[in-house]
Amino acid sequence: MSKETQMRAAVNQKLVEMGERERLKELLRAKLVECGWRDELKAHCKDVIKGKGLEHVTVEDLVTEVTPKGRALVPDSVKKELLQRICAFLAQQSTL
Amino acid sequence: MKMEEMSLSGLDNSKMEGIAQDILTDLVEDACLGLCFEVHRAVKQGYFFLDDTDQESMKEYEIVDQPGVDIFGQVYNQWKNKECVCPNCSRSIAASRFAPHLEKCLGMGRNSSRIANRRIASGNNTNNKSESDQEDNDDANDNDWSYGAEKKAKKRKSDKNPNSPRRSKSLKHKNALLGPKRRVENQESPCVLLRDEAFPQ
Repeated sequence: MSKETQMRAAVNQKLVEMGERERLKELLRAKLVECGWRDELKAHCKDVIKGKGLEHVTVEDLVTEVTPKGRALVPDSVKKELLQRICAFLAQQSTL
Repeated sequence: MKMEEMSLSGLDNSKMEGIAQDILTDLVEDACLGLCFEVHRAVKQGYFFLDDTDQESMKEYEIVDQPGVDIFGQVYNQWKNKECVCPNCSRSIAASRFAPHLEKCLGMGRNSSRIANRRIASGNNTNNKSESDQEDNDDANDNDWSYGAEKKAKKRKSDKNPNSPRRSKSLKHKNALLGPKRRVENQESPCVLLRDEAFPQ
């Protein structure tokens, strides 16, 4: 394992241990609902379901159709804010 | 993980940003997956399309915003000034005064017993003979329910203590058989009727 991979693993572990990952997750969810991302994506889901037929839709169908669009639809402001928080956390960790 | 291996200061900024980006991507993907699972469950349980109503029904139940009408489109004060016939004394009472009147008329509710007791108290001071016929206060209350007793009550009212604070108020109303209680002005509660229906007349 390269040092960087080790580093990433350590960071992720720290993130989870300190509960920061949960907090970030909640923050992201709240921001996405606020900016209408969730409703937009839900509408897209409706289209996908109507296309595939209500009875035959599977989780995989939804995931493959919806995730790339979801990733693209996240507004830049939300991304920026989350990144800031993550970087702040990382900086905190490096001084410990 | 020991602290020495956690020296992020060893990494340059771009690597830091790279890690941060990856973390963000993970989080976004979690959010997307979460939504997919929710939607899929809603589809399979059959409640996904529940909030889609057709246009026609939407128009039917739209909120009404006109003056003089409530949000359902019904006129809300058309019964204000109708008159009701009291089942007890067979008088015609205005709707907004009906509930308090019924309370006094039937001898139920907090105030009617208070008034009755007060009348008895003042009756005791001036008119001892008639009061000694009754055993206790409860019987006196019963007496008030019949119309004849109300006439007596009217008469006794003039014997009331002239210094009583309520004196001036009771003179203002000719109808005041039992005296109006200003405190309970607009008591529209129909619950008075639901109480004890059988009472001795």
